[in-house]
Amino acid sequence: MTTWSAWQNALALLAQGALVSLWLAAASIAAGTVVAVVLVAVGLSRIGLLRQAYRVYIWVVRGTPVLVQALLVFYALPALDLHAGPYIAGVIVLTMYLGVLFAEVFRGGVLAIPQTQWDSAKSLGLPPAALLRRVVAPLVGRYSLPAYINVCVMAVKASSVLSIISVWELTFAARQIIERTLAVFSVLGLAAAFYFLMCFGIDRLGRWAEGRLALRGFAGERG
Amino acid sequence: MMKFWTWVRTYGPGYVEGLEWTALVALAASAGAIVWGGALLGVRLGAGRWGARAVDAYVQLFRNTPVLVSIYLIYFGFPLVGLAWPAVVCGGFALVLQNGAYISEILRGSYQAIDRVQFDAAKSIGLSAWHTFRKVTLPQVLVYSIPALGNQVVLLLKDTSLLSAVAVTELTMQAKLLTEQTGAAYEAFIVVAVLYLTLVAASEIVFRVAERAVRWR
Repeated sequence: MTTWSAWQNALALLAQGALVSLWLAAASIAAGTVVAVVLVAVGLSRIGLLRQAYRVYIWVVRGTPVLVQALLVFYALPALDLHAGPYIAGVIVLTMYLGVLFAEVFRGGVLAIPQTQWDSAKSLGLPPAALLRRVVAPLVGRYSLPAYINVCVMAVKASSVLSIISVWELTFAARQIIERTLAVFSVLGLAAAFYFLMCFGIDRLGRWAEGRLALRGFAGERG
Repeated sequence: MMKFWTWVRTYGPGYVEGLEWTALVALAASAGAIVWGGALLGVRLGAGRWGARAVDAYVQLFRNTPVLVSIYLIYFGFPLVGLAWPAVVCGGFALVLQNGAYISEILRGSYQAIDRVQFDAAKSIGLSAWHTFRKVTLPQVLVYSIPALGNQVVLLLKDTSLLSAVAVTELTMQAKLLTEQTGAAYEAFIVVAVLYLTLVAASEIVFRVAERAVRWR
């Protein structure tokens, strides 16, 4: 890391890695959100057995390290004759992990809806689809936004773990450059700066969205 | 049944060693992170505007970067500046730095939950600053923080798995080693996942008992 061109190369690689990290996070945030909606439906079901199953599933996924889940999926997929490669394995793992975290966020949001909202929706005779679209979704969206954004930040950070199952992303790129150049502090410092920018950016974006949504009505006050 | 016992005799010691390291690192790093978090809060509250700003920057920095990067930074970087720490210490230190940031925020929330009137009361009965801290502030901050600290300790416990990336022979590393040695596909990771769940359950119980113990006072 003595010449300017070596620096440029390192920076370009890290930027590319950051882009991959962001892509991994975005893909699993999108998929995780879908998974979470299904999970919440199970978690708030009228059937006690389903609620129990939900609770056990959440506890198991939240109680084991992402790295162990990643290694499990990474090694289990080929054993089951599914040759998907580390990227797919990585997105599967992050989706599973985020799905659980988002589900708890959404569940909190649904439980935060004041009883009066349910009652008035019922008295208006809203059909279930309209109830979901006009009452539940806008309220839960607003209630859960801060926690949702928090989990999105965790998604970017958790994606670094995937470097251990040989997913080429920011942390992997940083290690690669270090092995060649031994410039530990500058390279990892730059990698940390990239992570910081992404996470901080998501956080700011979330606050901005909160502000936008809060202006349009009642969302600031809870129950 | 015989098969099970041969299994235990063959692979048991590896898992036990892994459990020991994981538990040791988790306990030591949790204790360290709580102390460090307390120190950070002390600086934030007692060292003026610049102290508060410095702590704020520190918290933001660690909140927005992955632990794995800190672990690598310390493990690969410290030897370059003459600090040849063993891998466990490097990893544990990274966990303390990261979780200390979160814990200082947890403690701050609890500190702010204490009614200001209590400090006036402490002053009016002539308690010194030290006694106010020991008898009024500290116990309440700890009691209010128990549930959130329990959460953080579970997160820390799970993050000890990242120490396998720097070849610490904790649980996850043991599973990797066994997978390589035996040629088994993935079974070791299921065993290790169950062991992590056991540790998580144990720490959840400890914190729940602690929460209940102080509530009855």
